[in-house]
Amino acid sequence: MTQQVALTIITKIKPGETEDIKQLLKTMRKNVAQNDIISFSKLSTVHFARLMVLEASVDLNGALISPSLVFIAECDAPLDRLLNALASMTGEGLDTIYCHCEDYPADDARTHARRLTYLRAHMVKAQAFYVNTVGRMVQQIHQEAQLRNAIQDFLDRSQQDWSGHAALEVRTKIQAFLRSEQTLSWAHNPPSQPGFFFKMKETLHLVGVPLLLLVLLPVLILILPLWLLLLRIHELSDAAPDVKPDEAHIEELANLEDFGAQNQFSAIGYIKSGWFRRLTVLGILLAADYGTRHIFNKENLAGIKTIHFARWVVIDGQRRVIFASNYDGSLESYMDDFIDKVAWGLNAVFSNGVGYPKTNWLILDGAKDEQAFKDYIRVHQIPTQVWYSAYDCLTALNIANNAKIRAGLFNTMNEAEAEQWLRLL
Amino acid sequence: MADTLDLQDIQGLIIRGYGNLRAACYLLLEINSPAAAKLWLSALANAITSGQAKPEEKAVNVAFTYTGIKKLGLEPALATMFSNEFITGMATPHRSLLLGDVEESSPMQWSWGGPDTKPIDMVLILFAVNDTKLADIYKGYTNEFTTNGLLEILKLETVDLGDKEHFGFHDGISQPMIEDLSQAKTSPMDRIKAGEFLLGYPNEYGLYTDRPVLKPALDPKGLLPRARGGSGNVDFGRNGSYLVFRQLRQDVRSFWQFLDEATKNPDGSSNPATRLKLASQVVGRWPSGAPLLQTPDQDDPRLADANNFAYYQTDPYGCNCPIGAHVRRANPRDSLDPEPGSAQSIAIGKRHRILRRGREYGPPIDQAELLSIKKTIAEDQERGLHFLCLNANISRQFEFVQHTWVNNPHFNGLYDDADPIIGTHSSDGSTFTIQAQPVRKRLTSLPRFVSVVGGAYFFMPGIKAIHYLAGL
Repeated sequence: MTQQVALTIITKIKPGETEDIKQLLKTMRKNVAQNDIISFSKLSTVHFARLMVLEASVDLNGALISPSLVFIAECDAPLDRLLNALASMTGEGLDTIYCHCEDYPADDARTHARRLTYLRAHMVKAQAFYVNTVGRMVQQIHQEAQLRNAIQDFLDRSQQDWSGHAALEVRTKIQAFLRSEQTLSWAHNPPSQPGFFFKMKETLHLVGVPLLLLVLLPVLILILPLWLLLLRIHELSDAAPDVKPDEAHIEELANLEDFGAQNQFSAIGYIKSGWFRRLTVLGILLAADYGTRHIFNKENLAGIKTIHFARWVVIDGQRRVIFASNYDGSLESYMDDFIDKVAWGLNAVFSNGVGYPKTNWLILDGAKDEQAFKDYIRVHQIPTQVWYSAYDCLTALNIANNAKIRAGLFNTMNEAEAEQWLRLL
Repeated sequence: MADTLDLQDIQGLIIRGYGNLRAACYLLLEINSPAAAKLWLSALANAITSGQAKPEEKAVNVAFTYTGIKKLGLEPALATMFSNEFITGMATPHRSLLLGDVEESSPMQWSWGGPDTKPIDMVLILFAVNDTKLADIYKGYTNEFTTNGLLEILKLETVDLGDKEHFGFHDGISQPMIEDLSQAKTSPMDRIKAGEFLLGYPNEYGLYTDRPVLKPALDPKGLLPRARGGSGNVDFGRNGSYLVFRQLRQDVRSFWQFLDEATKNPDGSSNPATRLKLASQVVGRWPSGAPLLQTPDQDDPRLADANNFAYYQTDPYGCNCPIGAHVRRANPRDSLDPEPGSAQSIAIGKRHRILRRGREYGPPIDQAELLSIKKTIAEDQERGLHFLCLNANISRQFEFVQHTWVNNPHFNGLYDDADPIIGTHSSDGSTFTIQAQPVRKRLTSLPRFVSVVGGAYFFMPGIKAIHYLAGL
């Protein structure tokens, strides 16, 4: 099993203890990879992880939603391995944070089994989960980066100027070097593939969903005009947003950004009131789930190659949606990518949320209103108090390139193919 | 409805670089007495050079920081309609990370614009045909500052190196052109909507960038232009532009000495031809300006101003002009995703252009001792570039170009290659990869050749808006 899994754990914070948790998260931020509370670097199957507080909020009907703590991780299957590792963090570990959350086992009752039960009980399913490349594990990413570095160092070390040599000759020398390196012997084999049962499940889903739609087609054809009519009524009556993010909010968010090649993004928003928007967003997220599983599952999300993971999680009895992603570059470049490349996709999902720039026919306009969209993003973004990346010096493009280097290492090539392979270096 | 450029209201520096006016200086000013300063400003507004006609003798332009605009009394509710970058300024801790202003470039060390230096409220920019004329103009202004409630914090001088910059390369060749002003010879790639450089006009998205727009009641004298779009409001931002000003110190000696070491013959002697080629690969153009894309093996002065080219068709892998070369990342043309070489790639690039208006400062280096005498940057005389650029959206234009293209070690699929000449080469980004057949060459551990010693974000208003400010 080598597919990635989205873990989301949401727990209510005890009344009056939100600040305590925030203080703890602040302490963790000083050294996210190796801190006393959750030492992320020891969790070897985790790609990315984050902890953040959802502040108290008043919903569209005036009801209070109390604050909660969100733990999110993108990790390699099986999920149980991560949950077990978390549950076995004793002493300074998990308890330090979760003792501020409701229903956490009392002081004397904190056993491995009880912690595990607690975590499982608070897991929430993601409605859609984008994975840059399905099946590329943390270990593979680290190893392939190490492989590339070794080849680069070899090239630098052995000869400054390779001009005049044939591509096949250079390649043969690289291969000879790799054969002599015991620590890189794993590179002789291809990376492991997702397991049989996973592939089977995905294939069934790939075929099953269109089949189901085909069966439902007569009904859908009847519903479609009605749905379009309702959509237009809603779109025309929705007010255009006019909210600017305030300076202090921008500053708090910006201070958590741009420390390296990658960034995190977390946002939360209300689904517009009424059953129509709620059903529409759930339907669109089903479609998004299908798209990310079967179409956009290798290095490219409709033209964007800078996103490692992204997820949508519907919470609070279908009142709110969390969006969380890990991407390369700055927020500005991320938003520009969205607007320039996948405005249609964002519109389809987010236009069902309160405060989104006005859309037409679900996918038109919306994010194309550049500054209104950027304001919407900042207004709904929330601070990711703790964020961990297992490979913070690698962009998604770097990772994809490393995988290509490894994939072409030992197969037979002619001169032209060897030239092409050497361009990866 | 087509909207023509209001050249009489636009400050001249936005329209042209005043290449014929070889002398220039920048006066950084603090406003001590807003009342007195406003009287002075209302007289100055009549003397400001507009974009209407090319001046033959001299030119005067002016721009304000956010603190300056607030001191002059623009209503807080209106002032907050400026962009967040302008309001919070260039020297916030987050912005320093974003722009690579760390270590020796940290605002803590700046000689102006930093947290420990005097606040800058405005910059008065003077141009003249020669130094004598400039000195006259300068004298006329500087004598009047104190009585007009102004304090001259710093006078930044410039030097005329012809069309070269201090490292020895022809600079300023590629410039975007406001669509309405473009000529037949302007490459389509360089024709950019006015709204990318001027507020109050449609930008490359066909939209108006946010700016202070006022209820007419706040402009009882009717000084300001009407806002486009039929709202009935008046537009404080129209015909104005954001001016990014950064003083960049160049370590010319270390640049050439590093390249000399990197290209030495096996016997330890220098190899001038290889050195020059490597330097040109770093820049992406030869010293004459000829693009490596078109002439990869030797300089060709006939191509000195060549600019009508794209990269992907001729050189998709960077074998002529390295992917990470300075000019190929500051303006990637058609190099980038989603589909290099496509019209979409060019269209996306058009949303990240800046109008450059910089000038050099400090004495040129003595060529005879360039390679022979070792000096640290502290021991050497200071020289560099007063980098000035104009744009309507600092975040999407200047900051994006600086962060996502120029100073990004991962630019266009690279791993550890910040801009080889102006990038931050600290813990990462210090490699320069030169794509080649059969396999790349690379330089590692590049030192930093350019550091920031001062900077600020200004707003260069339309002339009517200056009258409005003066009348507050």
